Amino acid sequence: MTLKIGILSFAHMHAYSYALALKANPGAVITGIADPDPERGQKMAAEFGTTYYATDAELLAEGLDGVVICSENVRHRAAVEASVAAGVKAILCEKPLATTVEDARAMVDLCAAKGVKLATAFPCRYSPPFLRLKEQVQSGAIGKVVSIRGTNHGTMPGGWFTDKALSGGGAVIDHTVHVADLNRWLLGAEATDVYAEIGNGFYHQDWDDTGFLTIGYEGGVFATLDTSWSRPSSYPTWGDVTLQVVGTEGVIDLDMFAQNVVVYDERAGKAAWHNWGSGTDAGLVADFLRLVSGEDVPNLATGEDGLQALAVAVAAYKSADAGQAVAV
Amino acid sequence: MTYRVALIGTGNMGKVHAQQWSAVSGAELVAVEACTYEESGPIAKMYNCEAFAFDEFDDLIRKTSPDIVDICVPTPSHRQYVERAAAAGKAIFCEKPLARTMPDCDAIVAAVERNNVPFMAGHVVRFFPEYARAKALVDGGAVGKPAAIRVARMAAMPTLDTEDNWYRDPDRSGGVVLDMIIHDFDWLRFAFGPVTRVYAKGLYGKPEYRGSMDYALVTLRFESGAVAHVTGSWAHPGGFQTTIEIAGDGGIIEHNSNTSAPLTVALKATGNRVGVAVPESPTIAEENPYFCELQAFVNALKAGTTPPVTVYDAYEATKIALAVLESIETSKVVTL
Repeated sequence: MTLKIGILSFAHMHAYSYALALKANPGAVITGIADPDPERGQKMAAEFGTTYYATDAELLAEGLDGVVICSENVRHRAAVEASVAAGVKAILCEKPLATTVEDARAMVDLCAAKGVKLATAFPCRYSPPFLRLKEQVQSGAIGKVVSIRGTNHGTMPGGWFTDKALSGGGAVIDHTVHVADLNRWLLGAEATDVYAEIGNGFYHQDWDDTGFLTIGYEGGVFATLDTSWSRPSSYPTWGDVTLQVVGTEGVIDLDMFAQNVVVYDERAGKAAWHNWGSGTDAGLVADFLRLVSGEDVPNLATGEDGLQALAVAVAAYKSADAGQAVAV
Repeated sequence: MTYRVALIGTGNMGKVHAQQWSAVSGAELVAVEACTYEESGPIAKMYNCEAFAFDEFDDLIRKTSPDIVDICVPTPSHRQYVERAAAAGKAIFCEKPLARTMPDCDAIVAAVERNNVPFMAGHVVRFFPEYARAKALVDGGAVGKPAAIRVARMAAMPTLDTEDNWYRDPDRSGGVVLDMIIHDFDWLRFAFGPVTRVYAKGLYGKPEYRGSMDYALVTLRFESGAVAHVTGSWAHPGGFQTTIEIAGDGGIIEHNSNTSAPLTVALKATGNRVGVAVPESPTIAEENPYFCELQAFVNALKAGTTPPVTVYDAYEATKIALAVLESIETSKVVTL
């Protein structure tokens, strides 16, 4: 049976690679793309050979098995509620799950109550270098983990990402959740406390472009995470995900996107890193389709996972306001 | 004139300094003091000067009449040697950190001021070519206004060829924060200005790691609004490594000691030799940072100018490091 999947909004550009993965997967068909921006929606519908719908409601009326939500952060909750009401079996929601823990909790609770499977799009869980790190850590290769130093640097994305009414914040809400999720998954422990220094020293606007978080975990492991949009346009790539995991018997350094060839192209006027590492979105989307089919997919992040990662970002903003560490 | 130098301490830094003093122009090593003659004797013989043992400091001063006292003893003993050298009117070069406690730092500043003696602290990272270049680039506007800075200094727990490895005792050394990444605190202050508050987590004060490993992740906020992250590790089995990243509103500077090493020597495993690749970064002798700091001190003495790393600089760096230890112990933000 081919699964009918709808994509609700291309506001977040990750929708593009999820659509590519859906298109490539013989088990699914993209029934349609709904987007409040007709130009963007029609262009994407044409590119992926599917139908454009002006509203989520019209697409949801087609009797979908599953939906992929890539709207602006603040609109995730309404899209989840509409999808649940339309009777979909499973939802893959772009990260961050929401902009407040209250919204995220409402989404998780609603899906649980109605028997709808909610997943959060954390593709880093499908990174082979990360999975190898996880395997090494869990085998005890570096002894007992004491600390994780993380970065998720990026280039300032612009658009609605810097409109706090739609995004819920800046670099901190955008770039905390991936690594917060990886740490939590790796350690099997919840974050207990967060301290954050937040700044706007790159773009000097009313949104944060700099975030240095310090996170405590149950069991005493501590972590830091740099979420800054600190990569200029002259930088050879968009950013990074790195982890330095320190244990009592050794250290593992992960640079998730280090598998690059370096290109010096006279036309570009700058060096560029072209990543040849395995993509992560195909694995994420394949697991989501298994979830839609009712299979167990232990690696796919749940709504609760998305909520716990968001809680770290929300705590970071609280900490910066309070000028001290806060409980998560 | 040639400045006569008395070296106090023959541990890791004392040995490095002894070697560099023989290269510094305008200075000569005339005395070496260590706990025992077994330690000071071979160094004194190698550099053709007089050996002294604990506690013959007064004899050393009387017999060898040094102009400069170079203090390379373990951190908690800095104060007593600074006080005695200052009282004797000697120019003082003192290894970092300035002291183990703020009261000791206060006493050191008071002794230097009261006796009005020249003083320089061994914050040698300012003299490392990559750090000097990075600061010059920042000063020249290469990254615009600095916003987010990351520096890291990662090594194994320091070894010492005497039985008593005081580095392993955080009550004496202050662990990786006070002993090692104080270098970064000093350089960050030097390059980016005053620090207003610190927050950190680390292994300091946790009995299960005491003496076996140390690791700290530190966040600093500057008066300028910039933020810095400092990694300090005595948990890295893979050799010494430093990294620098300075991101600003006009660009970014990166440096990694591993990837910038022009030479990597890889030897086959034979007998009891383990087969490892060791990166090396050689420079001409005149650009050795330990030579440069001692030569800069002598040059300042000759010129009658203030040496480039003052007792106040060393005081502020120690204050940051001790605030970081306080933050690790209390889980609280410490405002400076």
